[in-house]
Amino acid sequence: MGDSREQDTGSAAERNSSELTRRGFLSHGVVALAGTSAVAAALAPLAHLKRDDIPTIEEFLQKHYKEMTAEDKERVFSRIAKAVESRYQVRTKLADPPPMAGVEFVYGLNLSRCIGCRKCVHACVEENNQSRSPEIQYIRVLEMQKGSIDVETSDHHYDPPLVPNSAKYYMPVQCHQCADPPCVKVCPVEATWQEPDGITVIDYDWCIGCRYCEAACPYWARRFNFAEPEIAPDQVNPNMAYLSNRPREKGVMEKCTYCLHRTRVGRMPACLEVCPTGSRKFGNVLDPASEVAYILRHKRVYVFKEDVGTIPRFFYYFDERGSRYSEPIAPAGTGGSG
Amino acid sequence: MALLLVLNPLPFHSPVAPPAQIPGWATDTTPVRQPKMKPEYQVALFKFECNACHGIIPPPANTQVRTVTQHREVVLKHGINTWCLNCHHPQNRNVLVNDRGEEIPWDQPQRLCAKCHGPVYRDWLHGAHGRTNGYWDTSRGEQSRRKCIECHDPHQPPFPPMRPAPGPETLRMGPQGPGEHGEVHNPLRLTGYGEGVAAGYLEPEEGN
Repeated sequence: MGDSREQDTGSAAERNSSELTRRGFLSHGVVALAGTSAVAAALAPLAHLKRDDIPTIEEFLQKHYKEMTAEDKERVFSRIAKAVESRYQVRTKLADPPPMAGVEFVYGLNLSRCIGCRKCVHACVEENNQSRSPEIQYIRVLEMQKGSIDVETSDHHYDPPLVPNSAKYYMPVQCHQCADPPCVKVCPVEATWQEPDGITVIDYDWCIGCRYCEAACPYWARRFNFAEPEIAPDQVNPNMAYLSNRPREKGVMEKCTYCLHRTRVGRMPACLEVCPTGSRKFGNVLDPASEVAYILRHKRVYVFKEDVGTIPRFFYYFDERGSRYSEPIAPAGTGGSG
Repeated sequence: MALLLVLNPLPFHSPVAPPAQIPGWATDTTPVRQPKMKPEYQVALFKFECNACHGIIPPPANTQVRTVTQHREVVLKHGINTWCLNCHHPQNRNVLVNDRGEEIPWDQPQRLCAKCHGPVYRDWLHGAHGRTNGYWDTSRGEQSRRKCIECHDPHQPPFPPMRPAPGPETLRMGPQGPGEHGEVHNPLRLTGYGEGVAAGYLEPEEGN
């Protein structure tokens, strides 16, 4: 009895599985088609793979910047220069200026003089080969309410026909090159570190793109390449260094490096050179005759988010009341020079 | 499957906006003013030294404010400093004048401005005011310091307002258009802050 029943059910199952019903065909077919389309859609980017997208053995085995010997560096730098040339048709020699002995860079920015013209933002992009699309900018100019230092009430999308607006002041924010950088502490792979001259750098070839540093930075100074960076070949700056402005890949972090390819050979950073008002001051704070040393000793200095304890190397400073024409030298109503 | 890959039925459309056009002036390092650092006056194609006229014509007796008949292109808006000869030497118009009536060469205007703007002059001397360009490390290259009148018009000294360079598109990945009612469209801001801020989807609460 039992056997025959088993045989019956077995044959029924056999019959069911072998029999092609209309319902079964349609449902299985739909599932199969959806599955195939999903896989095809997921694989579709593979069809656009270029040869450069697949890392070579050499790229794969490249060491961390700090572990590279001089020969390693030479080989890696020439390979990167070649890659840049094939991609942007720009002949370049990748530099690697070392930190200078007895130099610690400090930036000063005069909040009484900045007019918010944003020229620094674009000079920086031009100098540092940031992606133009999607747009990556290291400097964010905040339009602040006069009488307040609350950045929550600031606006960086301001676009009046003329600046400055006399009811506002302007506060450009970029990497503060902290002495106790939280972004370095959180990096799980040590792809970012602080150099002896105070500049925090990134080895773009070591970064895994986890964006922890972006979350850790209290100054919103780190930027992530969400998409393949796009720069027109005629806009590429051929004066490049490994740790600063060489073109980046998709999926890595980048940040302001005080233009180390310029500043480590004695030049001023690009944002300072373009500033029409002279609000930006840069130099070696260990040199007592430098402009920044004077500012720190004699001017009223404001450290942005001092309470978070990152000990920035970027200082905002002010001039005396009345040294600007838009400010009255006497209290309102007593006949100030206005 | 291979056929699907080739046909690519679901092509990827990037949401990334095309690169914004950045005008050339946004990255131009040229100073806002390039004054002649010498006492030269130009009429059409002719150039004169100031004393070419003022050495001959005696200065009028300045007892009250009068309308100038020459140099009418000069608009003097320098606060309470409304007198030509506060800065220009009364006898030798090729130079400027200091507080003791002594001559200041035309190419050293900072000594003139220091007569009134002491704190700014002090800051300028130490580099905390004014443009310093070139090399921070002067052992490696040239450093240029700009003098007062290379940024400020001595007759209208406040730094001239200028057009701001284009703002960021980093967050919206597209150009920013003005809002429907002529206000600034700013998705990041929910409430307007203070007076004169036309922005946001919500009206500022009463009493703010």
